[in-house]
Amino acid sequence: MSKRKFNLYFIPELVNEPITYILVKDFDLKFNILRAEVKEKGGQLLIEVDGKPAQITKGVAYLQGMGVKVEELNEFVTKDEERCTNCGMCVSICPADAIEMDRQNWKVIFHLDKCIACGLCVSSCPPKAMKLKA
Amino acid sequence: MLKRTYEEINAKIEKGDAVVMTAEEAIQLVESQGIEKATKEVDVVTTGTFGAMCSSGAFINFGHAEPPIRMSKVWLNDVPAYTGLAAVDAYIGATEEREGDGHEYGGAHVIESLIAGEAVHLRATGRGTDCYPRRDIDTYISLKSVNQAYMYNPRNAYQNYGVATNSSEKALFTYMGKLLPHYGNATYSSAGQLSPLLKDPQMRTIGMGTRIFLGGGIGYVAWEGTQFKTNIPYRNGVPSSSGRTLAVIGDLRGMSTEFIRALDFHGYGLSMAVGIGIPIPILDQDMMTCAARTDEEIFAPVLDYSIQSRNRKPMMEVSYAQLRSGTVELFGKKVKTSSLSSYYKAKVIAERLKKMINEKQFTLTRPAVAMPTDRSQKVLEVCSKEEVL
Ligand code: SF4
Ligand code: SF4
Repeated sequence: MSKRKFNLYFIPELVNEPITYILVKDFDLKFNILRAEVKEKGGQLLIEVDGKPAQITKGVAYLQGMGVKVEELNEFVTKDEERCTNCGMCVSICPADAIEMDRQNWKVIFHLDKCIACGLCVSSCPPKAMKLKA
Repeated sequence: MLKRTYEEINAKIEKGDAVVMTAEEAIQLVESQGIEKATKEVDVVTTGTFGAMCSSGAFINFGHAEPPIRMSKVWLNDVPAYTGLAAVDAYIGATEEREGDGHEYGGAHVIESLIAGEAVHLRATGRGTDCYPRRDIDTYISLKSVNQAYMYNPRNAYQNYGVATNSSEKALFTYMGKLLPHYGNATYSSAGQLSPLLKDPQMRTIGMGTRIFLGGGIGYVAWEGTQFKTNIPYRNGVPSSSGRTLAVIGDLRGMSTEFIRALDFHGYGLSMAVGIGIPIPILDQDMMTCAARTDEEIFAPVLDYSIQSRNRKPMMEVSYAQLRSGTVELFGKKVKTSSLSSYYKAKVIAERLKKMINEKQFTLTRPAVAMPTDRSQKVLEVCSKEEVL
């Protein structure tokens, strides 16, 4: 089993399709909706998918076949280690507990795997060490 | 009872056999050996803090151009610097913002660039006079090219500070960082048991002329800091809300961007993180007792920043041990805490200062003048000419 994160972009015509249902039923994938947005030009869904690697690949192919734009999220934000002062301001801001204070050495650790790409830490970091990946 | 003098300590430093410990190490020693033995053993305790200190800036003398100009307006990387001084002197304030494109870049960034050894764009205009005929100049400066460049920070190293939280419905953007609604988080800004002025709470050894670690180099305490006050509550002999402050001075040359960092508080504005370390001479057992106070014994008031008044009252007091645990309990709710000052850097500074003393690069100074012992902070009322007298 593996876990991967994807940003899905829907055109308005697709917004009513039971896409998530099919991903579960036909491809045996578990997933977690991390963020959802609907705008004039369609919708955006950030999901974390959990399943067999081959099934994930098939599921992604299905989505692309339906006309959904799929973008894998590897690194949404990055932490500039040199710029980070290890203050910890971001720790209480992060809704996903992706940023943690190591109480042994008082350094701040960023867990990319827990990040839900909300971007809140980027504006909250005073020395601007957390950056959006372009 | 044991007594020690500055002269004795400095003589030991010169000989290379002074016993220097960081405040954290001193705490451990007192815990294991007891106060008396620890007092006997330790000569100096080093402290450190690294946090946002808005009241910061630098004086620069640019040198004279040919033909000379009396600068009446100066911009450094498009950030206005204050020039109501002599012809080619200016003061660049840390919180001053760049003209034109908003608030992401300012005086703190200019200072950081200078310390990093980078070139900074200088633009200046003048009226044009008989001795200073030139009316404008457009050039570059660096720490190498200017005459003097020294930090002068009127208010640094606050002795304790409040903890900020927010009871309202909406997020607040403050100099204490982003405060989430409904007590979503609490932010604080002191190195607690490592913080210089908390380790010598009555300032017996820190006064004008005290040599300190400033921004990676050596600096001095210049004066009492602005908003210095002594009429404050105490717990365990330590101020339990913001009290004394320091005005500090030091050469930009010799400083490092490791200990001076430009900050941008989203929705609030710019500031500068400054690293300060102060050695505490262990003159007697009382000094050791204070220097070994722990985070469990040092308290800070919790303030609701949604009350937009200077009169907001503390809701409760919490210890730095609680704050540093990651959560505090406010009205039955577990609230996540964040620090604005870096405890990690505070530790690095205390270690660095210890190393400098051990390597004889730093000796202790007796204050030239002691700090005031009776100061309260005034407020500003809107009043008439007669009422103010
Ligand atoms: S982007 Fe959001 S989830 Fe990711 S680390 Fe920053 S605050 Fe946490
Ligand atoms: S707020 Fe920025 S500087 Fe502070 S710990 Fe987080 S990433 Fe580092």
